[in-house]
Amino acid sequence: MTTLRLWQHFNREDLYECYQCARCTGSCPAMEVAPAIGPRETILRCLNVGHQQVAEDERLWLCCTCHVCEDRCPQQIPIGDLLVALRNSAARRGNIPGRLGMAIELLAKTGRSMIVHQLDEMRAHHGLEPLQPVAADEIREILRKTGLKEVIEF
Amino acid sequence: MEDTQTVEGTQPLRNDLRIGVYVCHCGKNIGGTVRCAEVAEYARNLPGVILSQDSLYTCSEPGQDQIKSDIRQHKLNRVVVASCTPRLHEPTFRAACQSAGLNPYLLEMANIREHCSWVHLHNKDAATEKAKELVAMAVSRAANLSPQLELTVPVIRKALVIGGGVAGIQAALDMADAGYKVYLVERSGSIGGRMAQIDKTFPTMDCSICILAPKMSEVGRHPNIELLTLSEVAEVSGHIGNFKVRVKKRARYVTNECTACGDCIEACPQLSPDEFEAGLCIRRAIYIPFPQAVPSKFMIDMDHCLNNQGIVACDRCYQACEHKCIDFADSDRMLDLEVGAIVVATGVDVYDPTPLTELGYGKFPNVITTLEFERLINAGGPSGGELIRPSDRRRPQKVAFLQCIGSRSKRSNPYCSNVCCMNTIKDALLIKEHWPETEIYVFYIDIRAFGKGFEDLFMRARREGVVFIRGVPGEIIEDIRTDDLTLLGENTLLGRHYKYQMDMVILSVGIRPRAGAEALQRMLNLSADTDGFYMEAHPKLRPVDTTTGGVFLAGAAEGPKDIKDSVTQASAAASRVNILMSRGQVSIPAITAKIDPDKCTACGLCARVCPYHAIEGGKDLGYFRVIEAACQGCGACVPECRFGAIDQTHFKEEQLTSQIDRALERDPQNKILAFACNWCSYAGADFAGVSRIQYPPSVRIIRTMCSGRVSPRWIEKAFLKEAAAVLVSGCHPADCHYNNANRQTAARVERFWKKMERLGMNKDRLRLAWVSAAEGAQFAKVIKEMDGLVKGLSLEEIRRDAELLRQSLEKKSKES
Ligand SMILES: Cc1cc2nc3c(=O)[nH]c(=O)nc-3n(C[C@H](O)[C@H](O)[C@H](O)COP(=O)(O)OP(=O)(O)OC[C@H]3O[C@@H](n4cnc5c(N)ncnc54)[C@H](O)[C@@H]3O)c2cc1C
Ligand code: SF4
Ligand code: SF4
Ligand code: SF4
Ligand code: SF4
Repeated sequence: MTTLRLWQHFNREDLYECYQCARCTGSCPAMEVAPAIGPRETILRCLNVGHQQVAEDERLWLCCTCHVCEDRCPQQIPIGDLLVALRNSAARRGNIPGRLGMAIELLAKTGRSMIVHQLDEMRAHHGLEPLQPVAADEIREILRKTGLKEVIEF
Repeated sequence: MEDTQTVEGTQPLRNDLRIGVYVCHCGKNIGGTVRCAEVAEYARNLPGVILSQDSLYTCSEPGQDQIKSDIRQHKLNRVVVASCTPRLHEPTFRAACQSAGLNPYLLEMANIREHCSWVHLHNKDAATEKAKELVAMAVSRAANLSPQLELTVPVIRKALVIGGGVAGIQAALDMADAGYKVYLVERSGSIGGRMAQIDKTFPTMDCSICILAPKMSEVGRHPNIELLTLSEVAEVSGHIGNFKVRVKKRARYVTNECTACGDCIEACPQLSPDEFEAGLCIRRAIYIPFPQAVPSKFMIDMDHCLNNQGIVACDRCYQACEHKCIDFADSDRMLDLEVGAIVVATGVDVYDPTPLTELGYGKFPNVITTLEFERLINAGGPSGGELIRPSDRRRPQKVAFLQCIGSRSKRSNPYCSNVCCMNTIKDALLIKEHWPETEIYVFYIDIRAFGKGFEDLFMRARREGVVFIRGVPGEIIEDIRTDDLTLLGENTLLGRHYKYQMDMVILSVGIRPRAGAEALQRMLNLSADTDGFYMEAHPKLRPVDTTTGGVFLAGAAEGPKDIKDSVTQASAAASRVNILMSRGQVSIPAITAKIDPDKCTACGLCARVCPYHAIEGGKDLGYFRVIEAACQGCGACVPECRFGAIDQTHFKEEQLTSQIDRALERDPQNKILAFACNWCSYAGADFAGVSRIQYPPSVRIIRTMCSGRVSPRWIEKAFLKEAAAVLVSGCHPADCHYNNANRQTAARVERFWKKMERLGMNKDRLRLAWVSAAEGAQFAKVIKEMDGLVKGLSLEEIRRDAELLRQSLEKKSKES
């Protein structure tokens, strides 16, 4: 599997403009509830220790891609794009958290990212209709078209 | 004077040209890239050159002495110096020529530093070849130069200062003390500016108004200063030594008899936010800006007075005033002033942080700015100097300062505002001084404490227990019950997310150019840098001059700075004006246009394009003529004449076409011929050099004073000679230094494009670009783009276009 050329997907020079003000982390909702690595440190690590190491860091996956950091960044660094590029790079090397991989596999197989038969039981208990079946084939096709297959197998 | 006359008498004939060429290494600045000895060797064989040499520093004393002795010994009648930009050292070398008896207008320079070595750092061969051609161009222009006499005009020994902040005050006093009459024009009702608003000043913690007020009163009573408040400059014309200025003086509605007793205040029913108090409290419609105001007179704010709409007639203030000095019949007036020099000291505005919604300014009452804080902590302020939080008037126990608000950010102002770090440290110490138990937190990115005494103050703040946290909050949340504020952020040094609860947050807002600064910029033909501050003529060596002769800068209008720097600069500007005044006269460059009455058919086309109405005449007279004292030397009229009756002194047709010929002598099909105006685009190209922004070496730049001088005939000539591309560049449309003469440029290029289109030529080969003196990167970008185009052109295409043009010209000449 080819590794992704990160700097083809993200303009490296943009990172040099970061002056570590931490406005991004200050506005990051993920940082507030989880030990996420945070945009500021992600950038600092890319600059000082190299992005390969950053891509191996599990905490990268705690970002919820809300893009608030990008909105607040005084240097207008497209931080969201960086995080996505880093995750793609990690995923190509198989560095994807187990549970996330499983969810993708499920999505590709069943059209849903979680197992739902327990849900149906609960719904029945509340007198609700069972969930409608989903067009798993179509979802698989969408996933294929997004190029997800080149990043991870499903 | 003497020198020029002797030279005039012995005007050299073309066939006894004796040109001396001096190629400067400028240490390694040129010598590190361009092989200077090779260039000098090459120049030796150029027609008319009798002597050519390279030297380490031509501008040095020995370098200049060499030129002088060569002029005498070898009877040089032209001098060419290949070195830095003529915008820097032309005066130096002209003076050297003059002192050796050579008319200064017989000097020509080749810019092989800013336009060559600095922008082609990594291509020594190309840079050397380009330098040779630039020298050849300069030599052929030199061969066509003739000696000139400069007109001297008297300087009006009066000055105008625009803006009455601390900088304007200082400049006015320095000039007035030197014995010259000064008009000080201030927009608001009192002089004082920002300094009057602030409580204490860093780094010494002096009481701001206490040290400013004596200077303000001195202005008020100085016999040489005429203070015009509520006034703004509406129109400026003329030039160094002789400006005509129209000032609009708004009505005060209170006469000079006002004793500032204040009896009228209570009577007035109308309220308005108090600007001086940063809007923290209200004032009446009749008011005095602040107790120490100069002039110490009340005024009526007609926007808020009941009489404004004419619906209600109110005369309560009139009734209350014992001296009867309220005059509702007062009206705006226009004053016409004549001055020899102008100092611009319009200062700065403060950044309004409302757009940074995550900080809640304007929404959360306890989030305020540093300017508001200055008024809050001031004994004369709305709270009588009590630090209270606006929501409940309680004294805050925990106070946060947030740094770099509105500064160093692409979302607001990209530059550092220079004063806010020290201002915060000062403010923190003030709180500690009065209420030592207050907890103070400063959230910062970098603390910039670079000036004399600054680090001391910073250390004092740390010792007093002010907590400095590296990492600015990303978000402020308000508790709607208590109005307390929670700051979310990251302590970058600990790498830990934080949540701080604060009673009050003070945003350390930056400073920015005055709203409306552009209007004055246009009136005075100033340049502004990319941040919007007025630009100095040279960032190091002419820091208070502007590119407009006789106009000087002082204070924060030129860039963010503190009081000390503002005052220093103001004294410098005043001293520049004083030099002008004491000399009493200035010489006007000999670059005016001249009309040959024999060729003139009195069609009057030239008179229509002259931006200064400097051309007079008519059918009755049989010809038109240029009024020399009014002509500013843009040259815009020259291309307009179809009969070749006009030419511009020192920018003569043959002087410029000889440069074009030389530039395109070799390999024209790979070249860009660029015309650049002295004030903006040539300076912009210089700036690209100073910033070492690299661009392809295919361009050859020819300087004119204004892009309006660029004749379509030159463009034609370039394409006939198979130049790959032509660039016409000048100041941005409204920034032209010659009263919008560049409108002609745009119209002429537009017409040329149409013609190219009609003939089936590739019209991308002619480009028009507006480049300001600050836009070095833009100039480089244009050249890169054009070079890309040139690389894509085929020889056939260039030749075909030249042929199309030739045929059309032949057809036209047969017809006429
Ligand atoms: C909150 C704050 C705190 C500060 N604290 C300090 C400090 O402690 N120590 C320190 O050294 N510096 C401090 N500074 C910086 C200081 O205020 C400036 O250095 C100083 O005021 C600059 O003086 P100036 O005369 O150039 O401009 P200003 O003070 O801005 O004065 C300009 C004047 O020109 C007038 N004007 C503007 N446009 C026109 C026009 N078109 N026509 C006529 N008049 C016009 C304005 O009304 C004003 O009176 C502080 C700045 C701020 C914002
Ligand atoms: S907000 Fe932007 S500049 Fe500040 S630390 Fe984050 S990425 Fe860097
Ligand atoms: S006339 Fe105007 S300024 Fe005077 S008291 Fe009435 S409202 Fe106030
Ligand atoms: S002076 Fe300090 S607070 Fe102000 S912009 Fe510069 S670094 Fe930021
Ligand atoms: S157009 Fe320019 S050069 Fe011609 S007369 Fe007017 S000011 Fe002088």
